[in-house]
Amino acid sequence: METTSTLEKILRLIALTLVVIFFMFPIFWIFLMSFQTNETILAIPPSVIFTPTLSNYAALITGKLTTAAGTLDIAFMRNLMNSIFLSVTSVAIALVLGVPAAYAFARHKFKGSEDIAFTLLSFRFAPPLLVLLPLTQYFQWLGLADTYFGLIWVYQLICLPLILWIVRGYFEDISADVEYAYRIAGHSWFATFRKIALPLAGPGIAAAGLLAFIFAWNNFVFALVLASADKQPVTVGALAFVTSSGIQYGQIASAIVLSVTPTLALALYAQRYLVEGLSLGAVKG
Amino acid sequence: MTTLQLKNIVKRYKTNTVLDNLSLEVAEGETLVLFGPSGAGKTVLLRLVAGVIDPDEGQILIGGDDVSDIDAEHRGIGMAFQNFALFPHMSAFDNIASPLTATGSTKDAISAGVQKVAKLLKIDHVLTHHPKALSNGQKQRTALARALAGSPPLLLLDDPLRNVDAKLRFEMRLELPRLLAAQGATVVYVTQDYKEAMALGDRIAVMSQGRIRQIGTPEDIYNAPADIEIARLFGDPTINLLDVVPKSGPDGVYVELSNVKVALPGMPASVVGKTCVIGLRPEAIAFTDAGAAGGIPVTVEAETPLNEKTVTLVLTARGREILVSRPAGTPGPVSGPARIAVDGHAAFLFDKESGALIPSAATPMTRNGEAA
Amino acid sequence: MSETALFINGVDKFYGPIDHGVHAVKQLSMDVKKGEIIALLGSSGCGKTSTLRMVAGFEAVSRGTISLKGREVQTFAPVKRNVAMAFEGYSLYPPLTVRENIAFALKASKLSQGVVDEKVASIAKLLEIEDIMGRYPSSISGGQQQRASLGRALIRDADLHLLDEPMGQLEPQLRALLRGRIKHFIKERGLTAILVTHDQTEANALADRIAVMEGGVLQQFDTPQMIKERPANLFTGTFVGEPPMNVFPAGVSGSGEIVSFGLNEGVKLDYKASDFSHAVRGELMKRSKVVLGIRPYAVRRSEGGVGAKVAVNQWLGDQTHIAADFAGGTMVLVEHDRTNLAIGESVGIRLDPSSLHVFDGESGRAISHGQELA
Repeated sequence: METTSTLEKILRLIALTLVVIFFMFPIFWIFLMSFQTNETILAIPPSVIFTPTLSNYAALITGKLTTAAGTLDIAFMRNLMNSIFLSVTSVAIALVLGVPAAYAFARHKFKGSEDIAFTLLSFRFAPPLLVLLPLTQYFQWLGLADTYFGLIWVYQLICLPLILWIVRGYFEDISADVEYAYRIAGHSWFATFRKIALPLAGPGIAAAGLLAFIFAWNNFVFALVLASADKQPVTVGALAFVTSSGIQYGQIASAIVLSVTPTLALALYAQRYLVEGLSLGAVKG
Repeated sequence: MTTLQLKNIVKRYKTNTVLDNLSLEVAEGETLVLFGPSGAGKTVLLRLVAGVIDPDEGQILIGGDDVSDIDAEHRGIGMAFQNFALFPHMSAFDNIASPLTATGSTKDAISAGVQKVAKLLKIDHVLTHHPKALSNGQKQRTALARALAGSPPLLLLDDPLRNVDAKLRFEMRLELPRLLAAQGATVVYVTQDYKEAMALGDRIAVMSQGRIRQIGTPEDIYNAPADIEIARLFGDPTINLLDVVPKSGPDGVYVELSNVKVALPGMPASVVGKTCVIGLRPEAIAFTDAGAAGGIPVTVEAETPLNEKTVTLVLTARGREILVSRPAGTPGPVSGPARIAVDGHAAFLFDKESGALIPSAATPMTRNGEAA
Repeated sequence: MSETALFINGVDKFYGPIDHGVHAVKQLSMDVKKGEIIALLGSSGCGKTSTLRMVAGFEAVSRGTISLKGREVQTFAPVKRNVAMAFEGYSLYPPLTVRENIAFALKASKLSQGVVDEKVASIAKLLEIEDIMGRYPSSISGGQQQRASLGRALIRDADLHLLDEPMGQLEPQLRALLRGRIKHFIKERGLTAILVTHDQTEANALADRIAVMEGGVLQQFDTPQMIKERPANLFTGTFVGEPPMNVFPAGVSGSGEIVSFGLNEGVKLDYKASDFSHAVRGELMKRSKVVLGIRPYAVRRSEGGVGAKVAVNQWLGDQTHIAADFAGGTMVLVEHDRTNLAIGESVGIRLDPSSLHVFDGESGRAISHGQELA
């Protein structure tokens, strides 16, 4: 009765395979593209058999792109560094600000606290384009346009609400009694926050930080408008491959591979950490 | 050792009054049990004393000093929680050590303190384990050890045996009085189990709906419950309650159960003709030999043994159900017709309308129903 | 001889592959007669619930046979077995009222509406749920849901009623009364019932016979009286009974007319050789280690007994629980009167040979029960 039939097993395997192919194929295809020249990519019919080339990666790393129209300077490596700097700094600041705020919202209900929390979340509802124009104007007045500082500030719109809401949920899941127990044992509220609440919400904070990082990394619109060439992240920098002499698919593919790698690595690493952290669980004792 | 006083405490959550002008005094070294159904306000009361929540009105005094401006960490309290509330990311050792690390003791002093209390609670062999690797009983003991480790003068125990099985609960019920006596602390103990309340409490405060309904020694409460509800909360099997109208006879007040007179010695004449409820504890009813004078004829419905007692459900001729309890191993009928005798001295009479106990000159009355 | 309602013969239950998976029930054989109430008693993971689910048909039998009224049913679907069940998690249908939930159990019986109404009303009265019959499961307390679930199982006219932890959530004030009523209800109608419980109090209160299980193995299957007086092994002896049996590991020595048990700290309990039968004496002398057991209510206080000091004296209204420390350990006594013993007071405790249980020190198997006096 509890043993599944062979037919069921086969059907399940087929279904799983289809899902995996559906999601993995584009990534696989881009990975292949990154090792091909534009000519082989655009060949009809497309073929999985080709002579792999590292020319795309070489172009990205040296910053010299040779096209039919001549040699172009590209700033991919600089874009990559910008992406890393912007995302890491934004998430770090959002964590420093957001985690204590999330704790406050979770543990101290005061008049209007729910409204404030909701207002902060609502920043994520607004389409970026809606706020972009006034924001650009303000930033120009304040001299913040085209500065890392300004960009990181705007990135808080993406990171802070996310961290606040996810981490708040984790804090709320910690039994209040566990924190009371530490207080009553003679420790200050701040020690309780540091020694009990933070470690227990650790997996949640990691998950929120990771998500915020991915959103920050993938941001396009804010950076497009507010950053000049030398401060652009990869998402915007990739536009350089759309050249007057055509779209450089090979380079785009290798740029994607390079830019996806950090987030992918981070996700894989944190996934392990998350599973471990969640099974620690047993908050209820 | 210290004293605890609560003066006119009020606690509201939104429109809901959880503690309603509650006053209470706990003497030095006393174990006071707060007993009542869930939602009575027992846990809220403990949290107020611990200082993790604040009262809306009223005063809390520990050792005679008002503690309203003293934070939880400075009140000198040890507390154990119903759900244990162990720190899941710390070993049993670190859990138990938490009251000691706060005082800035040396490493050796902390280690010695933890070892001492862990030995007392027989968990010294699992100190390196994290809570998830502990059995339920060990978790419960770790939680108690943590509460005791700092030798606090005031101990708050919030239903600490609720989540362990019957055997462990019994074991701890015998162990706790010794632990608490050795500690010399003043204790407030919350429970929903009347046996725990009677076994551990010097005094018991029966709470419901944010008020103290009766406070007294276990004897006071078992032998003179202030009202029907309290009478029903103490005793297993539950007290038998039957509607009666007392009558007056040459030998004083009596009631009729299935046309058999049961004298109620010491009952005031004012109850005559009033609709009342008679409360008969199952152990105050006995089977008598058929035909004996004063026996009430009944039919035995079922016999259900209960922890060294034999409980029998009988039906009177009028179809009223009565539970009779006797020590296991003593003879009694298993089925069919039988007769029971009721001890009028051990009967309670309650006013049907208000539910309040009608005091009898014959029942011990050391009740102080109003909060001090 | 009454007919056999249920016969379980050599049943094994493996989770995972047979002989390699988790062996949850091991070679279980037992019979239940028509009209009997049986309790499957054990702690979680002992195999009692697996057994119940195999009888109900929710779980496949790995090996062996299960017969209901003489017909093998282990391959039958649950619906073909004519078995009624009350589930531990209540499993009430959320969109139906309590009344509809209970009446639903009679749907297949094709009874007239009048009869159904009458039966439902009487079961509602029995279980004190008359005032919540129109309510939905989500709006009533756990105890009320449990009573509704019991009603749904008991109302059916099945060959076998299976009750999984049927009374664990009941309000304490109702428990004794409902136990009496339910036992009467089952007996009066001649129903056959198996209840699964971890609570030995419940098993003792309701069952004609108790099957004590541990580690998938049936430890003892006997009347509550026999289990109390003649536990088959140390497990059964300590599992059944509240407060639990006092147990002390002891060494045995004997010379001529004396059988002597040596407890911790040099405490010696001497008995006359004639207190034990010849066979038991022989068994005792073969061993160096035994475990002595005595039930708390059987311990007597008397001058000249083993010297002890009262450590705890707890009056519970109709019983007094006393813990007395002596050199060999702590002895728990239960007395039915109010005992006025001060803490620290010296008492003598006596372990009468007639109520002394002796278990093998290694296997835990019972050697002697006191009743088997010479």
